[in-house]
Amino acid sequence: MTKTRLAGVAIATLVAAASMTAWSQPQGAASVSAGAQAASAMAASGAAAPTGRQADRALRRKVYAAFGTDKSINAGDISVRAKNGAVTLTGTVTETSQISKVEEIAKGVPGVTSVTNKLSVKKSFGGM
Amino acid sequence: MKLKYGSLAALALFASAAHAQSSVTLYGVLDSGLLYQSTNAASFAPNAKNLGHAWQLKDGGIYSSIWGLKGTEDIGGGYHINFKLQGSFTSNNGKPGLSDTPGATALFNQFATVGASGPFGTIDAGRQIVPMIYAMADTDVRNAQYFGSILTAWLGLNQAAGWPGTSTNAPIGALYDSNAIVYNSPKFYGASLALEYAPGGVAGQFQGGTRESAVLKYSNYGLNVAAVYYSGHDTNPFPATYPTTPAVPATGLNNNNLYYIGALYTISGFSVSGSFSSANSYNSSSHTSYNFEMASGGLGYQFNPSFKITSGYYYLKDRNHSQNHSSEFAVGAEYNLSKATKAYAQVGYVSNKGTMNQTIIYGAPVAPGVSTTAAMIGIRHTF
Repeated sequence: MTKTRLAGVAIATLVAAASMTAWSQPQGAASVSAGAQAASAMAASGAAAPTGRQADRALRRKVYAAFGTDKSINAGDISVRAKNGAVTLTGTVTETSQISKVEEIAKGVPGVTSVTNKLSVKKSFGGM
Repeated sequence: MKLKYGSLAALALFASAAHAQSSVTLYGVLDSGLLYQSTNAASFAPNAKNLGHAWQLKDGGIYSSIWGLKGTEDIGGGYHINFKLQGSFTSNNGKPGLSDTPGATALFNQFATVGASGPFGTIDAGRQIVPMIYAMADTDVRNAQYFGSILTAWLGLNQAAGWPGTSTNAPIGALYDSNAIVYNSPKFYGASLALEYAPGGVAGQFQGGTRESAVLKYSNYGLNVAAVYYSGHDTNPFPATYPTTPAVPATGLNNNNLYYIGALYTISGFSVSGSFSSANSYNSSSHTSYNFEMASGGLGYQFNPSFKITSGYYYLKDRNHSQNHSSEFAVGAEYNLSKATKAYAQVGYVSNKGTMNQTIIYGAPVAPGVSTTAAMIGIRHTF
């Protein structure tokens, strides 16, 4: 009983993982190949009405993509929520100095208007 | 004369400033609390009796108490030389932690490493906490803490495989390995690789006493995924009666294999985790084969940066003897009183069947087949 439920959780997690990577890749590919057209369309919609869940999701992915380029941050422990350009960060980082670093990276992402930082520090095995 | 020394000192100062920016840090943690446990045993012996309930002052409710020194030297071009010396101790009596030989403690039983880091990644040589257990921590909402987590579950497998708990040389995977060379790759869009090789140093044998492990990790988009392979040769060579009965001589036998896959997802303060593991082992002193599986699930909520609640469920199963299995549930609350001090309260329940003796907290054994409840409040201070 518990085992099947566990397997269910595991599968759901894997599916979530797969769908997420599937999302992030086309987004990256589109911005490269479809180039100017997509960019201008995004700019137009962005200027007119940067609202809606689709825009929020796109911004969330852009923030994570920015974290992904940093060598020291484990963004697997960070939750990013975006709403109309306002980004909320929750979860954990491994060093105190990373709390402000993560915030700075998020602020540097085009389209982010404000960042609410609720990050804390988590050190596995008391690692220093 | 005075002046001469003064100028020498000044010269030395300049030389070091120009050459390298070095730093050495002394640090540590004291973690202590009050533990109630409904049943207790004196050891992990298969015939250990239930001695009844106990109240005790207990070290390590979150992780062990530690102290250490670490340093880094910038040698230029983006390269650093790093060292780390770290030992655990029991806060309630001041005794140092276990080494890989029963009956012997070690001053720096957790880390004694020197290594380099740079654009290629990081490489550290010496005794250290192995990559495997960090991967487990990253994919467990309870973060492989000492009370009711993937750590106590994994140690439960070791106990079931005949580990007497008196040394860190365990039959199924390891928390620490001596003689280890560990490479950690840089991150590539959230993905990274860790490789470990520990030569056994056994004369006349290439494989005697060696350890090899690999960890593949992904961490981005709120998701941690980790896959682990760990293999050990001539592990847990000490019989329960050591040193009266000598250790089994190394033959190069691969008697320890562990596979683990786990994931943790974080969104808006919630975190969810799950894992599955398969492990086998052969005890050379009792000539017994073991084959286990382990599964876990976790759920946590972070109310604000200083308060969180985490919970986990851990299941162990003996594939060779279906009557041996164990389920554990643990829940804990952690509150950061300040940047350096954390208060915590946690409760756990374990249902042990057959010969299983999964503990709720590291360092407080329970008798085989005896179900147990434990509760603990404590404080953890970092300096």
